[in-house]
Amino acid sequence: MNFDLDDEQRDLAAAARDFLAGSASPAVARTALDADDPAAAELAPGRDALVASGFATITVPESAGGGGGSLLDLAVVAEQAGRVLAGPSLITFARAAVLLADDEERLARLVDGSLRVAVVDGTGPVLDAASADTFLALRGDDLVCGPGAVDVRAPIDPTRGLGQVVLGDVEVLATDARLRWEHAERVGRVVLAAEDLGAAGRAVEIGVAYARERHAFGRAIGSYQAVKHALVDAYVQVEQLRSLVWWAAWAADQAVDELPMAAAAAKAAAATTLTTAAETLIQVHGGIGFTWEHDAHLYWRRAKVDRFLLGDDVAAYDEVARLAIAAALATGGPSPEAGARAEAAVAAR
Amino acid sequence: MDFDDTPDEAAWRAKVRAFIEEHREELGRRGDEQRFDDQVARARQALLYDGGLVGVTWPVEAGGQGGTPMQQAIVDQELARAEVPGLINLIGIGMCGPTVIHHGSPEQHRRYLQRLLRADDVWCQLFSEPASGSDLAALRTKAVRTEDGSWRISGQKVWTTLAHLADHGIVLTRTDPDVAKHRGLTMFVIDMKAPGVTVRPLRQMSGGADFNEVFFDDVVVPDEERLGDVGDGWRVALTTLMSERLSLGGGGTEIGVGSAAIAEHVARHVGDLPADRQALVRQDLGRAYVDSLGTRYTGYRQLSAISRGDLPGPEASAGKLAGTKSARDLADLAVRVLGDDAAYAVGADGSSTWQDLQAVLPGMAIAGGTDQVLRNVIGERVLGLPPEPRADKGVTFRESLAAAGA
Repeated sequence: MNFDLDDEQRDLAAAARDFLAGSASPAVARTALDADDPAAAELAPGRDALVASGFATITVPESAGGGGGSLLDLAVVAEQAGRVLAGPSLITFARAAVLLADDEERLARLVDGSLRVAVVDGTGPVLDAASADTFLALRGDDLVCGPGAVDVRAPIDPTRGLGQVVLGDVEVLATDARLRWEHAERVGRVVLAAEDLGAAGRAVEIGVAYARERHAFGRAIGSYQAVKHALVDAYVQVEQLRSLVWWAAWAADQAVDELPMAAAAAKAAAATTLTTAAETLIQVHGGIGFTWEHDAHLYWRRAKVDRFLLGDDVAAYDEVARLAIAAALATGGPSPEAGARAEAAVAAR
Repeated sequence: MDFDDTPDEAAWRAKVRAFIEEHREELGRRGDEQRFDDQVARARQALLYDGGLVGVTWPVEAGGQGGTPMQQAIVDQELARAEVPGLINLIGIGMCGPTVIHHGSPEQHRRYLQRLLRADDVWCQLFSEPASGSDLAALRTKAVRTEDGSWRISGQKVWTTLAHLADHGIVLTRTDPDVAKHRGLTMFVIDMKAPGVTVRPLRQMSGGADFNEVFFDDVVVPDEERLGDVGDGWRVALTTLMSERLSLGGGGTEIGVGSAAIAEHVARHVGDLPADRQALVRQDLGRAYVDSLGTRYTGYRQLSAISRGDLPGPEASAGKLAGTKSARDLADLAVRVLGDDAAYAVGADGSSTWQDLQAVLPGMAIAGGTDQVLRNVIGERVLGLPPEPRADKGVTFRESLAAAGA
């Protein structure tokens, strides 16, 4: 068994970290939040720079000019993007790469940056709509593509570029595309969870650093168990989420029958974990933690929005339960509960 | 990244599986026995030892196989898969034995180790006391040296698993109260059948009785049974506790009960509920199931690290912390879906599986390091947060007792 990143993925993470930490930051996110017109708010690194870096299209095949990498490669990059609240989201590029898989021309334009695309889910808020002029959507079972009118409303998290989209004249790219659409959605959930992993991990780091230096009643507040244990609980959740993200990305690459469960579990855990981490970050900081100037609320904003992306966390938990129940009913072995009964008997002994 | 065995691991797994197949009936299955029979359990461990499946990581000189932690993990997985009951000498193998290996004399090695692996002797670990649980170094059981060089031990231990069946134990004692609490401790091997040793089983909230209180009334222990130097018992005890972490290395095995078994149980009951109730049950199942998946795959990361030859670090504590939580949530749900039976200890069909499990799990959050101690370990040794100030720092053990009015 080797359930770990390899050296190339570690190098990739380091390179992504250099690029993303050098161009994006919570400070840029705060500036975007201060912008008078949310539709004109600047994101960092921004669509053009992100595309130019090559990181956005890692999962596009080399034949179309992309990186020819795995989803796990992209997840490693997405974690770094999440740490600095980068925008636009790698989710958008990952979904587009799946949806346009047999459209070499559009894929090439995704890679060269001339196709400024976002993916529309039903009638809800559209991720990265603010920086897009072309939209992919599912109509019936048809995959469609075309322009749209974007209404960018006051954002909770400005880095997500959310807007309401009314599609214009669209072209049918593929019929009978529902399965591909669902796969793209699951791939998107994996990348979402990876970005949230980065944001949550960074939130815990900031909280730990503050708890080590801030003193109250004559000692560092991190020495008090009430503070320490809250940070530990957030850290443990982050490490569990990391395992789920890696598993889900690996499943997308290597074991696609495990992807529905893995992607739903990662999505659900990401929502819960980032919420815990961001709320803990604010709490540990006390008064400074809920000021406009502090970075804590920028992570909290990410949590409050991301939990609703690609289906909300309640729906994701429900999907996990439905899949688990369906799998149990499908196997229905000869000795139901045998393992459980046995282990309980041993434990009760 | 892959979840497959290396060729060496696959070959080892095949060998282990073949042995289990060959001895399928002799090995028995979990839940077969109505009452626990220690003679049966000893015989099972001897059979596994003779097949090379016990003490895999122990040195050959100590009676082991000189194998890798990954090989041990594979044995654990295969025994669990085949529903073979746990080894009776788990504590002996995981904690007592490694302590004897590291700190015992060649004579002690010869006398004890192979017999321990075969369960010819059952061992227990005598650390916790009524007045010192998490604060182990505050223990009070005394060992006093006599004129002939032997020691006399007096005091009380508690929560001692298997003491009522044990032949030997390792006991941590105070040999000098006039130094700081960590410095005045000494470890011994003790004969549990010696005069002056009294064992009283304690009944747990689950109704089971597998741990005990143990009284020592001037029990004579020869100096040859000392493990490590006089006053060095804390360092010796750390070997024991480190070994415990290695033996509990996680590796994705689940605490309490498998999430798949719970899903199966819920699947058979959820359809009987009204639709709105079903939705609530699915939320509970989804949350606990995601937690258990997170714990399982985090265990696989640890297993991968072990497979590379790394030793499990303090972050391994996170596995027990999170695994206990998800096990409790799953068990709670399993009982809840029993409907009218959920409030009774035994269901109308005579089954008490889930009620029993529910009553066992609160103890899991305490045994082997409480949730709170584990959080301190992770907070201080992984996250680098400062320790809580110790009120008994810089004073002798006798002074700290006086300050506490004891």
